[in-house]
Amino acid sequence: MKILVCIKQVPDMESRFKPNGSGVWFEETDLAFRMNEYDEYAVEQAVRLKEQLGDAHEVTVLSIGPDRVVEAIKKALAMGCDRGVHVQDPAASLKDPWQIAAIIAAYARDKGFDLIFTGMQSQDRGSAQVGVTVAEDLGLPCTTTLVGFAYDNGTITAKRELEGGVKGVVRVKTPALVTCQLGLNVPRYPTLPNIMKAKKKEIEAIPVGDLLREEARTATASFHPPAKKGGGIVLEGEVGALVDQLVGILKDKTAVLR
Amino acid sequence: MFLELTEEQKLIQETAREFAAAELAPVAAELDGSDDRGPLLANLKKLAELGFMGLNIREDLGGAAAGTVAFSVAMTEIARACASTAVTVSVNNMVCEVIQAIGSEEQKRAYIPKICSGEFAAASFALTETGAGSDPSGMTTQAVDDGDSFVLNGAKIFITSAPYAGVFVVWAVTDKDAPKGKGISCFLVEAGTPGLVIGKEEKKMGQHASATNEVLFADCRIPKSALMGRLNDGFRTAVGELAGGRIGIGSLGLGVGLAAMDYATKYTTERAQFGQKISTFQAIQWMIADGYTELEAARLLLMNAAFRKEQGKSFAKEASMAKMFATEAANRACYKALQMLGGYGYTRDFPVERYARDARITAIYEGTNEIQRVIISREILRNFA
Ligand SMILES: Cc1cc2nc3c(=O)[nH]c(=O)nc-3n(C[C@H](O)[C@H](O)[C@H](O)COP(=O)(O)OP(=O)(O)OC[C@H]3O[C@@H](n4cnc5c(N)ncnc54)[C@H](O)[C@@H]3O)c2cc1C
Repeated sequence: MKILVCIKQVPDMESRFKPNGSGVWFEETDLAFRMNEYDEYAVEQAVRLKEQLGDAHEVTVLSIGPDRVVEAIKKALAMGCDRGVHVQDPAASLKDPWQIAAIIAAYARDKGFDLIFTGMQSQDRGSAQVGVTVAEDLGLPCTTTLVGFAYDNGTITAKRELEGGVKGVVRVKTPALVTCQLGLNVPRYPTLPNIMKAKKKEIEAIPVGDLLREEARTATASFHPPAKKGGGIVLEGEVGALVDQLVGILKDKTAVLR
Repeated sequence: MFLELTEEQKLIQETAREFAAAELAPVAAELDGSDDRGPLLANLKKLAELGFMGLNIREDLGGAAAGTVAFSVAMTEIARACASTAVTVSVNNMVCEVIQAIGSEEQKRAYIPKICSGEFAAASFALTETGAGSDPSGMTTQAVDDGDSFVLNGAKIFITSAPYAGVFVVWAVTDKDAPKGKGISCFLVEAGTPGLVIGKEEKKMGQHASATNEVLFADCRIPKSALMGRLNDGFRTAVGELAGGRIGIGSLGLGVGLAAMDYATKYTTERAQFGQKISTFQAIQWMIADGYTELEAARLLLMNAAFRKEQGKSFAKEASMAKMFATEAANRACYKALQMLGGYGYTRDFPVERYARDARITAIYEGTNEIQRVIISREILRNFA
């Protein structure tokens, strides 16, 4: 079985984001980057599947971006993926989800992957489009927001998270694509010996120009922090008057009192 | 000049940071205040499984072969969460390194994999005696050759991890008549050996979860094969290995200092007095500036010493400089942080008083900072003589 995991490197979400010069993305200088959380679930699940199936089965991890994304690829290799693919693109953040999906699909098209894992969405852009669009491009069946995964003899049984805590169970035959949600698993820490051994695993570098034929279909018009909310209201005065004022505000401005 | 960690070093740092935040930080205060070492031992096992006990150890012996820079950044991240766990990890690494450096292949295979895998919860480095602290060559513990074995008699003090160590590296006098420091040898003594007695545990100011005990030898008979390295050559080894350990302790100090400054700095952006956040007072801003600048200088000294060791260059002077400066910067940072919290800093409801207590010992063990200054000045003066 050939498995592909697609991962993105995103800024640490504790970072302070500010718009970059062009105002359509954030300033990346000085940010610390790490593997997108949802992609960690994807890598973990892919590695568990390989462990279930045995060493003859191969997990490839792919990431698109500037040189720094090699660190995320190496983490996935240290977690147990077999080989890496770095699609070199210093301007990945300017591409829309359509293009990112097209790049992945162009890479994967003739490789005969039986199963593709992606995260449900990225923590920074959050479009949740790349996984499903790759599936569409490749003509693969696809199931999303996985919180449970089992594989047996060519059939995936996927537990999905739906709105309001409702769960759904989907069965799909490989080849297929799945997107992974929080709760699917607890990703392992890469062990230190495995981090060092991952140095010896192959990382194929492919210039993005070799894979991308598509124009962007959406354009980000602006990236900005939300307008600052006004400060809270401080009421002052006698208790009786305060209560009247408060009840008035709750009636007018909220749904608490009707 | 390139002052960036490699990708592998960054991943090790990230792993240490995430593990420390998830597993060590939540139990650090509890470990400080109780006698139950359960959570410490459980976390040591997990750290071993991740490869933190043999950072600079060969792969075939169960180590990570990740180098000294990785060791330094890992120690700092672990210490940011729990200094007691960090010192245990540091000593375990030091014991592994000394065995790797001078042990026979058989000794390496017998002990290093057990420390690296966590089969041994810890390992101990037993050098200090009541009469031999800063001057370990004044030790009196003796190992007498008795045909096919050595017999140890004497007492060590302040031995980290002794109650749960699986193996002890022990220094003892093997030639009483030799000049000072020339008649000491190094031995590997397994826990449970008859005559090896774990004595009383010290009640300390800080680093409570890490046990510090007396270790007594009462006609403790060990096989000839327990001798590590050459007979009467042990003191040189001790001195050499302590230099590496200093990078660990300096890095540990840095981690505690950073934890204190991070906590206090955040606090100053939330605490208001005189109608404004206390971070707007210049007096507070200067503490923030000074504290972080000193810790950054400490980090660079540590990186330099670690890098030199990794490159096989001389590093004793640099390790002493880094240990001395980093642990003093850390102590200053902890006391600044305490001041920034005002009265709250002095209470146990906030972690800063613990950081201050935990940081204090780093200026004392692994060679007091006075001894570091002796080493540094000796190395420098050598060039002027
Ligand atoms: C918590 C803890 C854990 C420890 N863990 C270990 C361990 O695992 N293994 C181990 O072997 N040891 C361990 N030690 C021992 C530690 O390394 C010694 O305490 C330290 O080396 C100092 O020795 P001392 O306490 O005898 O102080 P002393 O040597 O008596 O020093 C007292 C003072 O005199 C100063 N002084 C001494 N000589 C000179 C000099 N030549 N010039 C200037 N000043 C000098 C010292 O700097 C110090 O200020 C530990 C100690 C503690 C407290």
